[in-house]
Amino acid sequence: MSKNFLPSQYENDEKFSVQHNYLSQQFSDKDLILEKIKEVVTRGDFTLGREVDKFEEAFARLVGAKHAIGVGSGTDAIFLSLRALDLQPGDEVITTSFTFYATIGAIVTAGGTPVFCDIGDDFNISVAGIKDLITEKTKAIVPVHWSGRPCEMNEMIEISEEFGIPIIEDACHSILAEYHGKKTGTFGITGCFSFHPLKNLNVWGDGGIITTNSDEINSKIRLLRNHGLVDRDHCEVFGYNSRLDTIQAVVANHLLGKIEAITNARITHANYLDKGLSDISGIEIPQRDAELKEVFHIYSFMAENRDALWEFLRENGIDAKIHYPIPMHLQPAAHYLNYKKGDFPITERIANQTMSLPVHEFVQLRDLDFMILKVKEFYSHDQF
Amino acid sequence: MINFKVPFVNLSAAFRNDAQAISITVDEIGNSGHYILGAKVKKFEEEFAAYIGTKYALGVANGSDALFLIMKALGIGPGDEVITQPNSFIASAWTIVATGATPVFCEVDETLGLDPEQLLKLITPRTKAVMPVHLTGNPAKIDEIEALLSGTGIEIIEDAAQAVGAKFKGKRIGSFGIAAMFSLHPLKNLGVLGDGGVITTNSDEMYDKIRKLRNHGLIDRDHCEIWGYNSRLDELQAAVASIRLHKLDESTSNVRKIAEKYSSELSNLVTLPKSYLGAEPVFHNFIIHTKNRDALQSYLYQVGIETKVHYPVPIHLQECAEPLGYKVGSFPISEYQSTNSLSLPIYPELTDEQVGTVITEIKNFFKKDL
Repeated sequence: MSKNFLPSQYENDEKFSVQHNYLSQQFSDKDLILEKIKEVVTRGDFTLGREVDKFEEAFARLVGAKHAIGVGSGTDAIFLSLRALDLQPGDEVITTSFTFYATIGAIVTAGGTPVFCDIGDDFNISVAGIKDLITEKTKAIVPVHWSGRPCEMNEMIEISEEFGIPIIEDACHSILAEYHGKKTGTFGITGCFSFHPLKNLNVWGDGGIITTNSDEINSKIRLLRNHGLVDRDHCEVFGYNSRLDTIQAVVANHLLGKIEAITNARITHANYLDKGLSDISGIEIPQRDAELKEVFHIYSFMAENRDALWEFLRENGIDAKIHYPIPMHLQPAAHYLNYKKGDFPITERIANQTMSLPVHEFVQLRDLDFMILKVKEFYSHDQF
Repeated sequence: MINFKVPFVNLSAAFRNDAQAISITVDEIGNSGHYILGAKVKKFEEEFAAYIGTKYALGVANGSDALFLIMKALGIGPGDEVITQPNSFIASAWTIVATGATPVFCEVDETLGLDPEQLLKLITPRTKAVMPVHLTGNPAKIDEIEALLSGTGIEIIEDAAQAVGAKFKGKRIGSFGIAAMFSLHPLKNLGVLGDGGVITTNSDEMYDKIRKLRNHGLIDRDHCEIWGYNSRLDELQAAVASIRLHKLDESTSNVRKIAEKYSSELSNLVTLPKSYLGAEPVFHNFIIHTKNRDALQSYLYQVGIETKVHYPVPIHLQECAEPLGYKVGSFPISEYQSTNSLSLPIYPELTDEQVGTVITEIKNFFKKDL
């Protein structure tokens, strides 16, 4: 029974002085949370309990949406949003190949066929490319605010309105990110957020939430997430089971008080790295846009000789990551979709060159300086 | 909220007993920073497989997902048929619909389980699996179903959501079909602090497939072999499940004692639960049948005893099932059960006094009534 795949990103490897995983540090105040969990145990409202209601209301307010619906995971958030649109087998969903597997898994599970669009230098779906991909079968556009950087929403909304195709925002990376002063998760028919332990707002297991301004979608998803039940004894539609656990909502409520500070720390760290890395030849930092508030769930840039840099940084105790080396259209799972190497040049170039450094709230100034120093050192060796 | 003398469930009592152990393990998890598919899940999976007597167990997000993932791993999809029963919880049916397959309902018998005699008539070339439900933890006629399906290539998927610990002819439920699903929902006999589920199987192939499917189809961090799902048992819930698994046999024997008391005292007044020969039920629910069900339920309610009906509307008569084309009269026994069944409170924390109250009040009701 040792074959179980335990994802390595959760490992807290002692050999790194600058770690990607900070979870053991993060909940030093866990006694406060445990007290609240005890209250849940006393009430026994483990499923869709009071803390879930409270969190849904608070999250909707935080993002500026009319409704928020707690669900089992960020993956399920996307899946349920697509189900709420009554996606039929064969329907097409336009999305980006430069994303986490879950975006595509959710589309396929919902019965859809993913249609990939190349990205721009901002690592996000190239809005200019979307129009060409629209067919009679297109039922949704799923942009991903990759790494916490908002996509180009104005143009996307124009396309959405012109063709009457709804947008479902994959905002799993982008809690509190803003596009022209408006938060991600409020542009599409729904916004989908993840509270996975490595996300900016993270719970103690899997969790997610859907935001929407539509009363209709809100009611539909509330049915779908809980077996299609209108009450204990009546099932209106065949549904699913995907609920944010009440005890995870306790953790989420606790973190609501901290999410601004968590986000600000990430932004500060990212800005510092931007400055320190920008003049290194071999490094290309995405151009920042004053109209965007990026929240840096991932801090990434383009690096020449990326794999060697990665190895060098890890040898020096820096837990650098690659998010992700193989884009979705080139995954074994995508074989049946008949894409090939070269189909999405920018996506493939970025996948070959992207490099991520830790910017979470527990990264210290000396860690940032150390990372900058080591990257500089690598390229001075590398070049000369 | 009404304060019942005898509430139908008492989750806070159930978890209060384990509060300290749970608190310690949550603390450990908090310190380790491992929340997903870590050591606690692995430990629970090993313990649970050993308990059921299967080669493998896989923790997933909930019992419904367990059924869905088993069917996906078997390649069940559009155009296929899966046979199950209409007197179950709705998830027995929607999980089939979610794969794209069509649920086909089979009438049940007085044990609440699928009637093997009716089953044969429903098999078509499209039938890919039969999903008997061990409803209330009362084992289905699994040997007859096995015999009927032997050599047909049709797989048995046990819906053991309510049947953890139950046995049939000395062998644990959950070890009969190609795979079985268990629910760890807080109301179940082995309940955790939120949603959770487990799949058991002896098949290497099923284990391999489901292990990928539950975690985005990943074979490692960077390679996705099949588009998958996200359905994982949280570390935290796995830790709670381990703690409670160690006490399961004890709590099962406690509920069996309550069931015996109900049975010996009420046999002249109501129809008692019936089990198949060789079945060792675990009484997730204790379901009686009586023509006076509604009157009895409201009488018990007035005297402070909370009861439930599992379930007042059979699945084939639910609004969601309209497209399947069933109607009133399609399944007379299931429909009879939905209008005549009543679930009495049964859980290990129920005191002798509370059990006595339930018995006395049911007797009082029938004295008045007759």
